Amino acid sequence: MPGVTIRGLTMRYGDVAAVEALDLDVAPGELVALLGPSGCGKTTTLRLVAGFLEPEAGEIRVGDRLLSSPAGVVPPERRKMAMIFQSYALWPHMTVAQNVAYGLRFGRHLARADRAGRVREILRAVQLSGYESRYPGELSGGQQQRVAVARSLVVEPEILLLDEPLSNLDANLREEMRFEIRRLHEAFGITTLYVTHDQAEAMVISDRIAVLEHGRVAQVGTAEDLFERPATRFVAQFIGRTNLVDCVVTEPGLVAHDGLRLRVATADAKAGASVAVSIRPHAITLISGESARVTSDGDNVLTGVLKRASYLGAGLDYEVDVAGVILRVAAPAGARVAPGTRVTLVVPIARCLPLPAA
Amino acid sequence: MDRSLPVWVVTALLLALLMLLPLGWLVALSVSGEGGGLASYRAALSDPHLRKALWNTLVLAFWVGIFSLAVGAPMAWLTARSDLPGKRAVRALMLASFVTPPFLGAFAWVMLAGPNAGLLNKFWRDVTGAEGPLIDIFTMPGLIFATTLYTFPYVFIMIANTLELIASDLEEAASILGARRLTVALTVTLPMVAPAIASGFILAVLQALALFGSPAILAMPAGFHTITTQIWSYFQYPPKIELAAAASMPLLVATGLLLYLQKRVLGRRGYASVGGKSGQRRTIPLGALRWPAFVACLAVMACSIFLPYGVLAKAALSRAWAQPLTWDNFTLNNVWFTFWQYSATKDAIVNTLELGIMTATVGALLAALLAYTVNRKLVPGSQFLPFLVLAPVVIPGVVLAVGLFIAYTRPPLILYGTLWIMFAAFVTKELPIGYSQSDATFRGVHVELEEAGRILGAGRLRVLREITAPLARSGIIATWCFVFIGVIRELSASIILFTPNTKVMSVVIMDLKEEGQFGAIAVLGLFMLLMTFATVALMQQLLGRDVLGVRE
Repeated sequence: MPGVTIRGLTMRYGDVAAVEALDLDVAPGELVALLGPSGCGKTTTLRLVAGFLEPEAGEIRVGDRLLSSPAGVVPPERRKMAMIFQSYALWPHMTVAQNVAYGLRFGRHLARADRAGRVREILRAVQLSGYESRYPGELSGGQQQRVAVARSLVVEPEILLLDEPLSNLDANLREEMRFEIRRLHEAFGITTLYVTHDQAEAMVISDRIAVLEHGRVAQVGTAEDLFERPATRFVAQFIGRTNLVDCVVTEPGLVAHDGLRLRVATADAKAGASVAVSIRPHAITLISGESARVTSDGDNVLTGVLKRASYLGAGLDYEVDVAGVILRVAAPAGARVAPGTRVTLVVPIARCLPLPAA
Repeated sequence: MDRSLPVWVVTALLLALLMLLPLGWLVALSVSGEGGGLASYRAALSDPHLRKALWNTLVLAFWVGIFSLAVGAPMAWLTARSDLPGKRAVRALMLASFVTPPFLGAFAWVMLAGPNAGLLNKFWRDVTGAEGPLIDIFTMPGLIFATTLYTFPYVFIMIANTLELIASDLEEAASILGARRLTVALTVTLPMVAPAIASGFILAVLQALALFGSPAILAMPAGFHTITTQIWSYFQYPPKIELAAAASMPLLVATGLLLYLQKRVLGRRGYASVGGKSGQRRTIPLGALRWPAFVACLAVMACSIFLPYGVLAKAALSRAWAQPLTWDNFTLNNVWFTFWQYSATKDAIVNTLELGIMTATVGALLAALLAYTVNRKLVPGSQFLPFLVLAPVVIPGVVLAVGLFIAYTRPPLILYGTLWIMFAAFVTKELPIGYSQSDATFRGVHVELEEAGRILGAGRLRVLREITAPLARSGIIATWCFVFIGVIRELSASIILFTPNTKVMSVVIMDLKEEGQFGAIAVLGLFMLLMTFATVALMQQLLGRDVLGVRE
């Protein structure tokens, strides 16, 4: 089973670069999600990998086969890939069985009987036994989705591509299908690229996530890497919620924004540099009143005024004014602090991440 | 390299040849007459006959546009938004009047409103004892009237289709903010329909500009010409081809300008945003005006369908068409005469069918290939192909015929005198309609359906055969029908390109008119209508929806 190697991939529409000098490695058997807001180039990247588009620069390899480069492009039909489309792209004039069997006619030659057997098998795997002679129009959205999955898996592709496959499902079904896709990936182990704009979906499904911004990879890593150690402001904001405080470094390891002074996790930035400090709302502990008890070498201790408290069921969402900066705090459900109260915030230094400013 | 590329390139080249050859020759010849340069233009434009004809054309086109709007717009609103009774019937009749060849309608109106023998005028004289006729169809107002009857459906379609896309919630949003009904109509509905109104008007004017049959039947006997009949007269002995070419230019420029204008009108103000998806459309109660409105619609349809068809049927079955249809006057002789005795008919029917089938088949195929090439961006520069494909819309049939005549009466391709020159004319003329149809069809086939086939291992041509073609099939057959209908009713190009061996039905009808064979015209005309309606029925069946709904 080969992996995918992308080097310097560039694609422009007119003057606008959809993908620019993009590098990415997908290990054999790995599932990597391409995550980003709309217009970040993730779908373009996927279509370049599929061979529907020709790159202007850079190359795409699967194993040691060079598939795309400005010099030439192997057409989609000879890439040994399969793809699940946002619209599912089930052929309305073919039955479920015909849809699923379509790809079996190419590549390795299977006897007709073997093909039928394979179709039955894969339909069982996606829990659609008995639907062979239905037409796509007669199925629910979730069932159509499963047919699309079956049609792609049955050909045993080297690479599987998914283009926002869950975006047309309603919320409950979407959550169910996330686990289903992860389960199928673990069962079949196909090298997979998965495009989505939904961070929760990317976190559940993928081994690693590549966050794309303006056609470039902002950061690649596991969900935990991205959440706990975001490399840029954009990644910190895109993966989970965060407080971003624009600060100036006063001395290594110490930053300030007006009256707000923080000790931060790393001391790489020089004095005078601008940084954005990311503090996750749930990393902050809120204590009612100005408590002098809390002092610790490992923490920043801040005082402020509680502006707003929202009850969210599982927890509380506070907004606290600290020296003119509004910080959001996620607190566990419990005794509620009233707005207007002076409060103390305890923020571990290790959870204050200075990131490049712009 | 994509192995399918030659198919698309050849298609694009074929198209370019088809369009550019006649137009190129037209321009070339118009500047190469005696004296060279602009001499032909000077000669043509200083000819008082031609100037008069140009003026007549402008008058005709303008008033036809105005009256088409006056009739088509209210009817569109009534059928789209009000609780008018019998809406389906009105729409069906609208379709009938849309596909009725205008020259047949004009001819029927000769029998209805000719100053002496016209049935309506006779009736008028009998009832009132008056001396003069009620209406004289052989006048400019008569010509405007008879032309409007078959042109206003264009306005109707444009406006009705737009009205049906405007969801009521857009209007309700204005109401809830405090606007009265009239204010809503004037500030929300009307501005949204305005592009369709303007565009419908322009379309009607275009039709009237390019029309040959009605002026030939109604204006020429009255002693006046329009530009199309004037161009035709340059082909009568002794032919003055350079003059015809030069005279074609103003018409070409005018139609080009109008279409550009229409595009501008439609292109602005996010017209596409009218595409309300699921919005409910509320019908507006007419109250006491409900039945009067229905009667008014029927009256319009009487003029464009009931009376003309009735008089054609009567003439087909009468010995003397102007006399009452009594048992003595009844005969099937006209049918016998038309199909068996009159030697030209059978050949003409065969020619028409041959041309119809050939043109529809090649045209639909070419249109489908072109639409596919453009839709899927298969050749570099494919975004420019639609301009070329849609160009014939601006070329009136008469002008196209002049261009083709010039292009194909000289080497390398001498086609004059064969059916092929007419075939070339028809394919060119019908390509825009065919292309628009096919384009809509391929837009309906999501590109991901094809990509899904590609990524599983099927080549482009295989995907085209196994996935795209089955999905586009009914759309392509409908395109075929559209082209076929266009061909069997075609007159304005045929009348210039025909030779004794290559007459088509419409040309024979014009011949029969010269001979005063009214009964035979009626028989052949009804036969033509029968073929048309059979094709329309087939098309409705295939599309599973109203044909008018998809027509631009």
